[in-house]
Amino acid sequence: MGKQMADLSPAMDRAVTWAKEFLARPTQWGALVAPMLVLVFIFFVIPILYLIRMSFAEQAFAKSVVPIFGVYSLENYAEIFGDIFFLEMIVNSLIVGTGTVVATLLISYPIAYYLTLTRGWERTLILVACLLPLFVNIMVAVLGWYILLLPFGVIQNMLSALGLIEGPLGALKSSWTLIMVLTYEHIPFAILILAASLQNVARDKINMARVLGAGVYRIFLTIVLPLTMPGVVATAILVFALSISSYLVPVLITGQQVMVLPIAIFSYTSYLLNWTLASAISLILLVIVAGITFSLTILANRYTRRGEWEIV
Amino acid sequence: MLLALRLFTHLIVIVMLLPIMMSLPMALTAGSYVTFPPDGLSLKWFISLSQDLILMESIGRSLVLALFTALFGVILSVPTAFAIERGRLIGRTAIETLITAPRMIPQIVLVLALLIYYEFVDLAETFTALVIAHLLITVPLSFRTLHVGISSLDHRLEWSSAILGASRARTFHKIIVPHLKTFLIASFTFAFIISFNNVTMALFLSAVGERTLPVEMFNRMYVGGMTPVLLAIGFVLAVVGAVTFIVLDRTIGVLKYLSGHN
Repeated sequence: MGKQMADLSPAMDRAVTWAKEFLARPTQWGALVAPMLVLVFIFFVIPILYLIRMSFAEQAFAKSVVPIFGVYSLENYAEIFGDIFFLEMIVNSLIVGTGTVVATLLISYPIAYYLTLTRGWERTLILVACLLPLFVNIMVAVLGWYILLLPFGVIQNMLSALGLIEGPLGALKSSWTLIMVLTYEHIPFAILILAASLQNVARDKINMARVLGAGVYRIFLTIVLPLTMPGVVATAILVFALSISSYLVPVLITGQQVMVLPIAIFSYTSYLLNWTLASAISLILLVIVAGITFSLTILANRYTRRGEWEIV
Repeated sequence: MLLALRLFTHLIVIVMLLPIMMSLPMALTAGSYVTFPPDGLSLKWFISLSQDLILMESIGRSLVLALFTALFGVILSVPTAFAIERGRLIGRTAIETLITAPRMIPQIVLVLALLIYYEFVDLAETFTALVIAHLLITVPLSFRTLHVGISSLDHRLEWSSAILGASRARTFHKIIVPHLKTFLIASFTFAFIISFNNVTMALFLSAVGERTLPVEMFNRMYVGGMTPVLLAIGFVLAVVGAVTFIVLDRTIGVLKYLSGHN
């Protein structure tokens, strides 16, 4: 930029000077960022720190204000890790999260791949169908699934017609259902990331491989899949984080049948009123999400040797 | 192989649309319970929806909340995105990470932290508290949208405007704002949609008599199970969502924007 500028008219130089002068006052720029930073600091950083402190408070505090420098105790964590009920819940959450990630990837990747092959109305139809849930309130989909899963409803009739189940269902309120609905909820996000990722695979590389005689499967396995790995990992991280912390679907659709961490957070917060325990459970959830994000990123970096990609 | 892929894709297209469409036939039932298939046809549940004052009030509340959230989001994001893009700030990456962080952590954790904190600073169950919570979760997206817009601005246009003697305010008004119009609208709209559709924040933070629409729906479903009125409002929301999608596509090309430029 600087080199080009030197050749231009003196008027341009004046403009550059004006711009430089403007940039030379960092305080001015700082003032522009300040409101946002203050907001995030006061209403995000401090609350999260306080949540951490709360999780180390004695349970006697329950719902009252915990002094920052008061007694620290491991009472909440001891209760969680000493109780098989909570441990099962953590395992359930991990299973549901992992299951959702796998199902979402298995469904979304082929669709995103198909999107790169198709044009016109078909592409529009697929995009509209897959992205519409992003614009419609999640409650609508929850209502829809609730109806589909009603006793003697659509899915049950279908399944019994296929001979897969007999009699009334209770079986539909299982982890499988939870994974299915969560997968439905997160397919739009996955398709967004994967479609972008697949579109960035250079046509030349695929054509070159074809010229050199590689078959479809070989091209896919050695070129397309490795090149879209960052997208796959980004999807996995996002979907895992979203599904393991989703509570709308567990609370409204599968209910108490599948106990996952968010249900516990919800009930300890809203009616059992044990905020210190709720804090500890949510900290565990946070640690799980952070741990998975971190380890998947490390793993993918090692595998693809490409350091940076964005998570939507 | 390709045919199989195509069939699979179309099957999923149907599955994606099915739950959203489901609410219409069921809401048209003439019976008092949700059964499949519906008991005859009538519009009575849509009529009783329009007479349901609590639901109507919650719609208004949700709209106001979304409006405030989107408006403040844009007001906060424009200067921030400008400073990050143009000012050589120390720790730009750190600032960006901090701004997007509230969307990186599970919302249920964030909302619990806020719930406890609001009690502490005496903001609990206020509308302000709700707007702030919604700001936190929408700002990452409205900020990012504007950031993209601002980084696509051509410096030289502003310089030219300065050469021709325009004041900084005039340059902002005549050059920057028209150029950013699409991004401003997109930023506002995304924040509005996210805020209007969000359940988590308001579920924990709103006062009992002041629920937002999704929370009112959640609560009725949680306490009383499924009723045809819920399906009626569900259908209305599905239509609103679809219309929003179409309008956004026609105006700012949201489909292209979301699916990556070809």
